[in-house]
Amino acid sequence: MSAHRWLAAAAAIWLLATGCGRQDTSTGRSAGSDDAGAPVFRVLATSDLRDALPLQEMVEKATGVKLRFTFGGTMESTEAVLAGKADADAAWFANARYLLSDAQGQSRVKLQEKIALSPIAVGVSESAANQLHWTDPAIADRLTWKDIAAAAKAGKLTYALSNPATSNQGFMALMGVVAATSQKAEALTAADVDRRAIADFIKGYKLPGDNSSDLSEQFIAQQGTRVNAFINYESWLLSLNASGRLREKLTLIYPREGVSTADYPLLLLNDARRADYLKVVDYLKSEPAQLWLARQTLRRPIKPELAARVSELPSHTGLRVELPFSTDRALADGLIDAYLNEFRTPIASTFVLDTSGSMAGATRRGQLVQAIHYIAGADNSLTGRIAKLTSREKLWLLPFADQPRQRTAFTVPAGSPPARGVQSVADSKAKQQVLAEVRDYADGLRMTGGTALYDAVYLALVEMLEEQKKNPDYRYSVVAFTDGENNQGRGLARFKADYAALPEDVRGIPVFMVLYGEAREADLKALVATTGGKVFDARNTPLYRVFRDIRSYQ
Amino acid sequence: MSKTAKILVTLLLLVVFAGSLALAWREQRATAESRPPGAASTPLEGVIAVDVEPFFQDERVRKILAAHRLPVQVLRMGSRDMPGKVATGTPPDFLFASGVVAANEIVETARKANIAVTQVAPFHTPLVVASWEPIAGILVANGLAAPMQPRVYSLNMAGLTETMLAKKRWRDLRQANAYEVSRAVLVSTTDVRRSNSAAMYLALTGYALTGEIIDNRATARATAARLAELFKRQGFQENYVNGNFDDYVAIGIGKAPLAFIYENQLVSHAMTKKGISADMALLYPKPTIVNKVVFVATNERAKALGELLASNAELQGIAIDHGFRTADTDRFVNAVKPTGLAVQPRIVDVVDPPSAGVMAEMIDVVSKEMTQ
Repeated sequence: MSAHRWLAAAAAIWLLATGCGRQDTSTGRSAGSDDAGAPVFRVLATSDLRDALPLQEMVEKATGVKLRFTFGGTMESTEAVLAGKADADAAWFANARYLLSDAQGQSRVKLQEKIALSPIAVGVSESAANQLHWTDPAIADRLTWKDIAAAAKAGKLTYALSNPATSNQGFMALMGVVAATSQKAEALTAADVDRRAIADFIKGYKLPGDNSSDLSEQFIAQQGTRVNAFINYESWLLSLNASGRLREKLTLIYPREGVSTADYPLLLLNDARRADYLKVVDYLKSEPAQLWLARQTLRRPIKPELAARVSELPSHTGLRVELPFSTDRALADGLIDAYLNEFRTPIASTFVLDTSGSMAGATRRGQLVQAIHYIAGADNSLTGRIAKLTSREKLWLLPFADQPRQRTAFTVPAGSPPARGVQSVADSKAKQQVLAEVRDYADGLRMTGGTALYDAVYLALVEMLEEQKKNPDYRYSVVAFTDGENNQGRGLARFKADYAALPEDVRGIPVFMVLYGEAREADLKALVATTGGKVFDARNTPLYRVFRDIRSYQ
Repeated sequence: MSKTAKILVTLLLLVVFAGSLALAWREQRATAESRPPGAASTPLEGVIAVDVEPFFQDERVRKILAAHRLPVQVLRMGSRDMPGKVATGTPPDFLFASGVVAANEIVETARKANIAVTQVAPFHTPLVVASWEPIAGILVANGLAAPMQPRVYSLNMAGLTETMLAKKRWRDLRQANAYEVSRAVLVSTTDVRRSNSAAMYLALTGYALTGEIIDNRATARATAARLAELFKRQGFQENYVNGNFDDYVAIGIGKAPLAFIYENQLVSHAMTKKGISADMALLYPKPTIVNKVVFVATNERAKALGELLASNAELQGIAIDHGFRTADTDRFVNAVKPTGLAVQPRIVDVVDPPSAGVMAEMIDVVSKEMTQ
């Protein structure tokens, strides 16, 4: 018997003997019966690995291990693993450097094995690449993140990128700019950040998002109008090129000396499942799984000799010199803080809040108040700081019932950035004051009357349009929350007609709809199909977490 | 390390590993109880470094051990985590660590826990630097390496250490066209806080800097303080044993122009792949350290296993098939020959790592520097 099989047998006997696995009680598995006895092997994967979902079946077929994925954002998942709250036997991340540069993180990970590779690249629409002369390999091979930032500043490069505060791609793109513009070759610190270069780079950041699937759809819709480039893992860019859905193909640029490669480590978290973990790893690194990953998801096999056999992957991409990952937490935290509070286009949004009678119960009202407290709170954890109102942000709260009520405006004051570099700064008195006002407002919400959802959303959009005319340097959006069907004011058809009559600029203002209580999913989806945006389901997820998710789309 | 710190570290290790130990033990007991009557003798339970895992998975090894009534049940774990298994007071039958640094820690922990142990080093392998032909060419042009065989070079450790401490970048070197990048000249290692090979790198650069085997704490601290930057400036380091070599093979020259590894990693890679890719190069540091793979037994049966591993010609031959060296140099050289990798038959210029206490002192200094 091989060591793996012995371990599997030992684990199975142990499980039978004790009746349940350490963390498996929640799966409700009964000991003794054959199939039901095999516990699920739960893998928390980052959302960019969604395209690898078919592996679930392939793994089970090849190894008998009942692998089940759940997906989460990079930062959120990292935080869960750090805190020991991942509720999974293993984690599969695009990369785990942030997690593993921390002693606490290291102690959570029992074993790790890299499964595939995909470097981050800048995919530029061919026409834009031609204008920039980036289609010439002699020029393309020498481009650095500094050149990317310069093109962004000049308005020649407008790009889609997932949120630097919540995603690895976004964060590493910023780090690429930091490294290319600092004077040092390595061991960068928060003081080495060239603030001007970051600001230049951000000028081209026109399409934010939180996960690659959504952002790809947005990119397809807006390529050539709002954006001409997409910064993402090579695998996603190649997949888009192969999809036939783009207006024009993307030319992939791998910034010189600034490539960050996702290496997809599979991390064992629950030592009791070591045997299953080893089986899964063996399979994922086997030729069939590697070739499947390469051909179907366009990630590079971890074994170079297999990579050479996959014609779908680019054969020549120049000398890709890896960007060293700084383990300096002050730099990482300072950069994310500075991005959110200083560099990013500030958020201006209206929260349309259902305050109809059905919201009056303690649970519903309580959840809404808690969610508003959360975004106006003092949570400085990885995820908390993303949800939290940022410096310079404008917020309007617009409650509605039978009709829209009075809206209230809040403006978070700007901080005072350091002259050099970046650093995490405590909230100023003035900022704390505004946050307290938002919380007080939530406490005072009264719930009574009907649900004039479309009237309220329409009004919010009209008001955002007006604000945008006055202050174009913000990123506008509407967040609408409802727990029931529209029963007052205009209906969906009338809303659509009125929306169509609004000035063209309104199409740049997405509506993020929160589905709650008895709200009708189909109605909300229809609304979002008209306005652009996304529906977030809060029926089985705490409302505050949904608000947090929305924040990374704003 | 101060006495208090040592106690704290020990306590920490205890807490971290007690759980997994208890679990592993329950598993193993369960198997033992469920074994049908008449099966072979009770397996020896061992924890092993990843380097020797393929050896124990080898069917031939299983057969030989069974024939000698010394079958094993092994669990892979990091060598530097192994002392935690001993600190519990109920250690496994044997611990097979990847090198002397970890072995010394295991023996020291056992001594404190009043557990009698014996050690034997059945195989060994020198520390080498895995690199690339274009990089080797640049090193030769700058007097930092000298060709020995096709794709095999000797590496001038004193010169390289000086170059690295001078914060030279690749593009600062002469004839650096093939790798004209602003990346600093640095050898990539695994995390010194976790791995044996990184500790060997610290020992080797320490020797390069001082020209002697460091034998006192004052010099150890001063030297380690100067060398800490060679680790710190690497940024994120892989903290599992194969991480560094994996990056070398999978990502290549852009990530790991110079990777500090055990020779057996490259040799077994070459044996599995029937050769190495055309641009890979093998650099022998001059001088280098020969790493002993140390088997620590906590009882008589396990001691017999250790002796068998060290003396049985067949087992020694199989170890060679997995890239290790044994006393039989000719057999090693002949086994590697078909891969085209021109390994150095006898490693001549060799130094010993400093004593366990001095080494611990140096690791402590660098570790503290890294966490700042």
